[in-house]
Amino acid sequence: MRRLSRLSVLILLAVVLAILPAGCAQDKTPDAYRIGVIASQTGPYSALGLPAIDGARLVADQINAAGGIHGKPVELLFYDDKGSSTETALAAQKAIEVDKVVAVACISATGLSHSMIAVVNDNEIPGLIMSGTGLVDSTLGKWAFKPTSSEKDYIPLPLGYLTDDLGLNSCAGLIENSGYGEGGEHYLKLIAPGAGVNMVTYQHFDPGATDMTPQLANIKASGAASIFIWGSGPAGALAVKQAREMGIMVPIVTTPAQNSPSYYGSFGTYYEMAPSLVCLDSKLTMWAQLPDSDTDKEMCREFDESFVAKYGRAPGMWDAIGAQFVMFIADGIDRANPDLSDIIKARGHVRDAFETTTNLSLFMGTHTMTPTDHYGRVVHKEVLVTFKNGEKILVKTMEQ
Amino acid sequence: MEASTVLQSLISGLTLGCIYAALGLGLYVVYGVTRVLNFAQGEFVMLGGMITVSLCAWGVPLFPSIFLAVFVVSVTGAILYRFIIHPARNASGSVLAFLTVGFAFAVEGLTLLVWGWEYRSLTNFLGSSSIHLWGATIFGQAPWVVGMTILMVAGLYYFFGHTMLGRALRACADEPLGARTVGISPERMGLLAFVIAAALGAVAGATITPLTMTAYNVGIPLTIKGLLAAFVGGMHRAEGVIVGGLLLGLTEALSAGLMPGGYHDAIALTILLIVFLVRPRGLLPAHANIE
Repeated sequence: MRRLSRLSVLILLAVVLAILPAGCAQDKTPDAYRIGVIASQTGPYSALGLPAIDGARLVADQINAAGGIHGKPVELLFYDDKGSSTETALAAQKAIEVDKVVAVACISATGLSHSMIAVVNDNEIPGLIMSGTGLVDSTLGKWAFKPTSSEKDYIPLPLGYLTDDLGLNSCAGLIENSGYGEGGEHYLKLIAPGAGVNMVTYQHFDPGATDMTPQLANIKASGAASIFIWGSGPAGALAVKQAREMGIMVPIVTTPAQNSPSYYGSFGTYYEMAPSLVCLDSKLTMWAQLPDSDTDKEMCREFDESFVAKYGRAPGMWDAIGAQFVMFIADGIDRANPDLSDIIKARGHVRDAFETTTNLSLFMGTHTMTPTDHYGRVVHKEVLVTFKNGEKILVKTMEQ
Repeated sequence: MEASTVLQSLISGLTLGCIYAALGLGLYVVYGVTRVLNFAQGEFVMLGGMITVSLCAWGVPLFPSIFLAVFVVSVTGAILYRFIIHPARNASGSVLAFLTVGFAFAVEGLTLLVWGWEYRSLTNFLGSSSIHLWGATIFGQAPWVVGMTILMVAGLYYFFGHTMLGRALRACADEPLGARTVGISPERMGLLAFVIAAALGAVAGATITPLTMTAYNVGIPLTIKGLLAAFVGGMHRAEGVIVGGLLLGLTEALSAGLMPGGYHDAIALTILLIVFLVRPRGLLPAHANIE
């Protein structure tokens, strides 16, 4: 027994000695603002996460090249959510507890990012979530912020296009089974009647579906004069192709994911079939066609040119989202000027700064946060685009 | 409910079923000979599609592109067996299965590095166009997918039933020790099984890409569908894999067309789970290995 006790003491000592240097090392004040960026590097949403990482990395590089924030560089630590809510939460815990980041950004698919709301509030760290639905705007709590777009703000743009530009008043919803799709259907049901559009049927598809013909057959039978495809992955693009192959030639409007260059490259023929597909998009990708009077044109041009120079490709909407998350955090850190020797207090100061963000112009919108509104989008910047002769053509903006 | 929707769902289910059956056949060949559940089968399919798309983009005609893709993917299958499965051949089945999972992730990562994250597609083979029938549509590529699956089944039957090499594979599947005593090397037969499975996967990948698109991350979901088809139908018989694939495809398509509210994968999986609980050895249980 006595031998066992001695052994226990020795083990305890060894553990304490092992922990002490680590603890001492963490006491040293970090020489960079560490920001955790959680995104899908693998899994079903990696086509969204990987470009978002490119956008985030470019902004961080630009900040550091300009001397950092208050002389300190920004250090982005990337974590793979693997397309899983559990992995998203685990990655956040690692960023918060092990890597001691000052803020965390979750640039994942809508459903995945929702798992972050509880994590950042429980751990009292300022966190940004990439949720495309307004369903969570009132549940963000004290520590979560959402400097991106909610569907309730941009749904009127494609619906207005159907009624005002095309004179149509009936539509079928083809909705992805996901958090993003759930929000889309919720707000379509709320907003469409007031916009003069009768949603005659809602059909659903799983995010990994490769055949939507049964649902499209139901839409065809419903007699809907147009289709609204709501999705975040390749299934929505396949649905466009399959609708046209089935001879369904009514106007189709879609959410932004369907205008990815890779889908357009594969299915350009079907996208351009009259009446050509109309997609929601961001100003960033269409800056060259914006009028010179547009106040966002110069910001978009600069980013686009830097992006092309660094990556050899034009930025898309998810690159813009990744970029603007880092821009938002950098703005907060700049105003908070936190003392990193006490990471808990530093996180609190950054959170307070996020909450006083005023008229911050980003690619997807302009944000003014308040204690009761952590979404705070005061200017909406979506545009509608269509496709012709291998090019994207600007159809209309929110202002038009 | 419109009759055209029911017909469209049946056509969709048949096409999907053929895709799942083609996936399951590769799994069946490897499992029959080596008793390894190959979780990298979907990666063979993905690679077949990606390589064919790239070669076509470089101007290589379609069928030579597919031939080259089959060759490259077959070599990949040989590498998986020779350098990963064979050295660990005395390990348990679950360990070998996990090794294939690791290989699948490695292939996925390498594909991401080489091709990037973008989705890619092919045009329909020989420009075949859709056929409209009683209000339903048969996509131009669908007959190619059905034909490919029929050819695979016929080819496997001929190979295993009427060629010396196929009979040697069957001997290894039935009785590895006995096969060795008459001069058949189970190791060589294992290698051959992986090469055949990889080749089948590559052909399937090239053929389904015009319908489904392909990207670096489609392999694992495809493997899961193939495994489901094989488990439900019966892993020990090619007929079982075909029946399982068709059942899975039809269940998915009919639930998508006839049941409102979505979550069709969940509905299809629940139905298949019930089938699996009632017939745990599959709908068509073994009467002999590889036949």
